[in-house]
Amino acid sequence: MHNIIEVNNLTKKFILKKHQKGLKNLFHPAYQTLTAVNNLSFAIKPGERVAFIGPNGAGKSTTIKMLSAILYPTSGEARVLDLVPWDNRQQLSYNIGTVFGQRSQLWYHLPVQDSFALIGKIYDLSEITFKKRLSHLVRLFEVRDLLNTPTRSLSLGQRMRCEIVASLIHKPKVLFLDEPTIGLDITAKAIIRNLIKKQALEEETTLLLTSHDTDDMEKVCQRVIVINKGKLIFDDSLSSLRDSYLNKKYVEFTTESGEKIRQEINTRQTSVKAALDKLVKDYHVTDLTIENPPMEEIIKEIYARGD
Amino acid sequence: MAAKNWKLFWFIQKLNIKTAFLSKGDAFVNILMMLVNNFSFIFMWWVIFADKGTIKGWNFGDMALMFAISCMSFSLYAVFFRGTTELPRYIEEGMLDNYLCSPQNVLFAVSTSFSTFANWGDFLTGLLMYFVSGYVSFSGFFFFLYLSFMAFLLTYALRLILSTFAFYFQRTETLGHNIFMTFLIFSNQPASIFSGVYKVLFLCIIPAGFVSLFPVALLKNFSLGDFLIFTAGTSGFFVLSLIFFKHGLKHYTSGNRFGIR
Repeated sequence: MHNIIEVNNLTKKFILKKHQKGLKNLFHPAYQTLTAVNNLSFAIKPGERVAFIGPNGAGKSTTIKMLSAILYPTSGEARVLDLVPWDNRQQLSYNIGTVFGQRSQLWYHLPVQDSFALIGKIYDLSEITFKKRLSHLVRLFEVRDLLNTPTRSLSLGQRMRCEIVASLIHKPKVLFLDEPTIGLDITAKAIIRNLIKKQALEEETTLLLTSHDTDDMEKVCQRVIVINKGKLIFDDSLSSLRDSYLNKKYVEFTTESGEKIRQEINTRQTSVKAALDKLVKDYHVTDLTIENPPMEEIIKEIYARGD
Repeated sequence: MAAKNWKLFWFIQKLNIKTAFLSKGDAFVNILMMLVNNFSFIFMWWVIFADKGTIKGWNFGDMALMFAISCMSFSLYAVFFRGTTELPRYIEEGMLDNYLCSPQNVLFAVSTSFSTFANWGDFLTGLLMYFVSGYVSFSGFFFFLYLSFMAFLLTYALRLILSTFAFYFQRTETLGHNIFMTFLIFSNQPASIFSGVYKVLFLCIIPAGFVSLFPVALLKNFSLGDFLIFTAGTSGFFVLSLIFFKHGLKHYTSGNRFGIR
């Protein structure tokens, strides 16, 4: 199948002014180059839901900003929907949507529906198309009761739902989500994840999602791209990620005396069976559970290997 | 594209008016205060001219005409396109991202993103001052509107050039604001008091002369030469500002600051 996003050796360098003592900066400014994205290459097929993860400063947002035509790259190539983003900004924007968790596209003082109406006009939607589309999204994201509420009065979770509706009004084929669950509580995060996934499945939208929350990745995406210091360090399916980095299990058991013990089994050194045999020999076990390490631990290990 | 921008422009104006009228009292009081502010300044000049008669050939009618042009041009800028004032903040806080992600002309979207309703007070002052200037005629009124529009283009262009510095340097907001204020102050002085080096500064560096000197001269005694210099100067400045912005936009580095429109 043809790729909807293609990135080849994409690099972005920022030139930053060095901090110097006294008035040196005024007369002899010194600069340093920061490589935010370093020869990054990957491809995404239509309808894929991809998590794009990495520690702070890894280059996730910078990559998304280049793919959505906000930033020019220093070198390399990228095509989104067969268009070079920075050369075809307006044309591309009719087919992509962006949600930035830290930033709003809604007017602060006005009711949410006014912002939606403005976005409809910006995307050249006819009155009928706009109303039909909005009515569908309002139902899907359960925001009917919020339409007349000014943005300033919305909770963060409500605002994020409205932000996503705003980014989907023109029915984009690709949706870039940059930390859409940032700052939300557990319940709001779960709602947002479900809604994002539901919409993507329903409309076959391609997703590229950045997040620091591994649950976002597990609940929404099928594939994971991990970058660190601007370089790609992992690109495969979620299950493959687990298999490659799953070299330990946790055993939690209760002894006859009621004591609860948790032990780690290194599966590279010993098999689970051998470890359990030894455990049953050493203790009077009354209850036992075996767990995989949480995804966060796996990610931490990937970052450590990437370093 | 032009038709789409025009439709968008009016829709955004509706939203701006809706925002201004969230508190109806505030909107009208602000316009009233703007009128009081303008007329207290004009009153001061009226007292000076009542005492002196003329200043280097300028009488109060000339001053009224100059106020009319500067108030009209500034109000068009402030009511409809004041977003350029906010541009340095948008650049430094990465807020241009939203505009760059949508199928709009970025400059148009940024310029119309902010409006100050109170500056309708300047618009009213401009109209009133034209009618009290003593240079009123039917065709003259349309010429006055043309001159005001061109002076608005210059005001917009200067503010845009100052704002685009933020693409290259950090914390240029205050510098840009101060230079723009100097321009506004110079635009409200009788043009006849400037000569020599000051006149060069007045026309080329801080081009306030295109708001005060040329329009008044043209409305009093039309000269094709002055008209061409005025039109070419204001249009040239406007085109220059668009080039500055286009070039600057390539240097935009975005940012991650939390923010709301």
